[in-house]
Amino acid sequence: MSELLRVEHLKKYFPTPRGTVHAVDDITFTIEKGKTMGLVGESGCGKSTLGRTVIHLQDSTDGKIFLDGKDITKVDKNELKAVREKMQIIFQDPYSSLNPRMTLRDTIKEPLELSGRFNKEQLEDETTRLMDLVGIEKRFHYSYPHELDGGRRQRVGIARAIALHPEFVVCDEPVSALDVSIQAQILNLLMDLQDQEQLTYIFVTHDLSVVRHISDTICVMYLGQMVETCPTDELFKNPLHPYTKALLSAIPSVDIHNRSKRIQLKGEITSAIDPKPGCRFAQRCPYAKEDCYRDLTLTEVRPGHFVSCAYVKEINNL
Amino acid sequence: MTTYDESKFLSVKDLNVTYKSGEDIVYAVNGVSFDLAKGSTLGLVGETGAGKTTIAKAILRILPDHSTRSCTGSVIFKGQEISSIKNEEMQKIRGAEISMVFQDPMTALNPTMTVVDQIAEGLIIHQGMTKEQGREAAIKMLETVGISGDRADEYPHQFSGGMKQRVVIAMALACNPELLIADEPTTALDVTIQAQVLELINELKVKQNTAMILITHDLGIVAETCDNVAVVYAGEVVEMGNLEEIYDNPKHPYTHGLFGAIPDISKDVERLSPVDGLPPDPSALPKGCYFSPRCPRATEECHSRHPELIHLEGSHFVRCIEVEKEGK
Repeated sequence: MSELLRVEHLKKYFPTPRGTVHAVDDITFTIEKGKTMGLVGESGCGKSTLGRTVIHLQDSTDGKIFLDGKDITKVDKNELKAVREKMQIIFQDPYSSLNPRMTLRDTIKEPLELSGRFNKEQLEDETTRLMDLVGIEKRFHYSYPHELDGGRRQRVGIARAIALHPEFVVCDEPVSALDVSIQAQILNLLMDLQDQEQLTYIFVTHDLSVVRHISDTICVMYLGQMVETCPTDELFKNPLHPYTKALLSAIPSVDIHNRSKRIQLKGEITSAIDPKPGCRFAQRCPYAKEDCYRDLTLTEVRPGHFVSCAYVKEINNL
Repeated sequence: MTTYDESKFLSVKDLNVTYKSGEDIVYAVNGVSFDLAKGSTLGLVGETGAGKTTIAKAILRILPDHSTRSCTGSVIFKGQEISSIKNEEMQKIRGAEISMVFQDPMTALNPTMTVVDQIAEGLIIHQGMTKEQGREAAIKMLETVGISGDRADEYPHQFSGGMKQRVVIAMALACNPELLIADEPTTALDVTIQAQVLELINELKVKQNTAMILITHDLGIVAETCDNVAVVYAGEVVEMGNLEEIYDNPKHPYTHGLFGAIPDISKDVERLSPVDGLPPDPSALPKGCYFSPRCPRATEECHSRHPELIHLEGSHFVRCIEVEKEGK
């Protein structure tokens, strides 16, 4: 398998009157073609910002982004258009990401028209193909967004994102606003499309059961930093970072016979404004010692399993 | 004090609520009945629009006046019919004996009052405390939910989402209610904060023997906090029973669909098997079984006859024609 996306030491800072927000701080990862990387963490950890920075919805502060081996960190306007055709995004809120004054058909046709790749007849055929592909019934072709439920709206968002056969799609909490049964329908659609179109995904979510279902590898973020990354199975079998362990144990399970012990975290997420050096989780970490407030890097603890914790070996008896 | 059967601490019988929406009548709750024993927890599970919140509001008699068309049925709380008592009487029960935690802590709090005043308000009204006593008790309550007393004089906007929800819980529990109705109390929160809030609710339940109705769409939360479960679909209870009956032996095809739709954190499933389609429009409910248009097992009869809630065994009830037939 070949590498499609590589991100090196990516940073995204936002200046605010109260100081600089370190939303994404020194993140490095690669994703192979046709695979899905899950990006998880709680609200405000920078996961959406990371997804958006990677596809150039906003400029990065520092670091490098490579797509298919080509450096796309700094691109001019023309190059950006080409990059955008290859990298797309599906937004979280299907209620606010569609134009309320456009019919579904026009909404889906728009990116095809703008690409300039199709003549009039092809344009109509291609639009119909896309609508069939994402499962929007004929009777809704000329409906407006407000006439639809969230699931169908999200299907429109998906059709737009994959219209020009991108190589890479950031799915930013695409199912968080949907009810469970609709959520499952959309997850199934995304997985089918991945197979058919050889898509590579970054799947941003706070829902760990969803991420386990859809991802090949997982990155756990906490306040702008990556705390742990490894293949999905490994993460659920052997979580090594204290935050990941607490996060996994916090999920209510439907298994009523095997109750696992819950790790209770104290306090709440602090802020990423001008953070102190070292591990940002240390304030809530049950194992924190003074050393934790020194600089810290992601280290490979087992093959393919990277953790950013000064005491990972002691905590896990490795 | 009237005596009553403790297994029928709260008894809801044939609750029906309709709303008006323009020319249409919205059938939000359709013949819901259940009993809640003292100190036990019932989970009301279902999708958006199933009528879960309306059931709670109907019990508390806080349905919106302008859009409610009718609300019938009986609600017996500690042996007393509370659906027909005077408003003033009901006000005494609400907040004191029965209280509610709303889903969205951002809108449930008054932005112009300090949190301590909001918690003390109920104590002053219901328990006749003086301002000073109310304040003291409110600070104690804040500390119970894990918020330092130093922050008592702050306003809601100074708190994070998780802390606001704890303030709402402190308000609901201040008067030691015997029944707590919690409507999606953790949906707006992150998982680690959700774990803290659930732990808090569980602790208080044990300490004060509070009965609880927990409204949620999350079957994992139900599994961790409830004794009994009622699955609500299109304003009806379609299946009801204790945890083991529902989780180990779900009977209704909709309940199966709900379980099939959740990616389970502890299992590997290649493909989810959700229910196809969407819940029905409550202003135009289908003939026969309300679930029949989406049901993989639906037969002719299901599209024409509306099934009754039938008793299976133990405390397990189900509303399904196909399950009825299996029994025969």
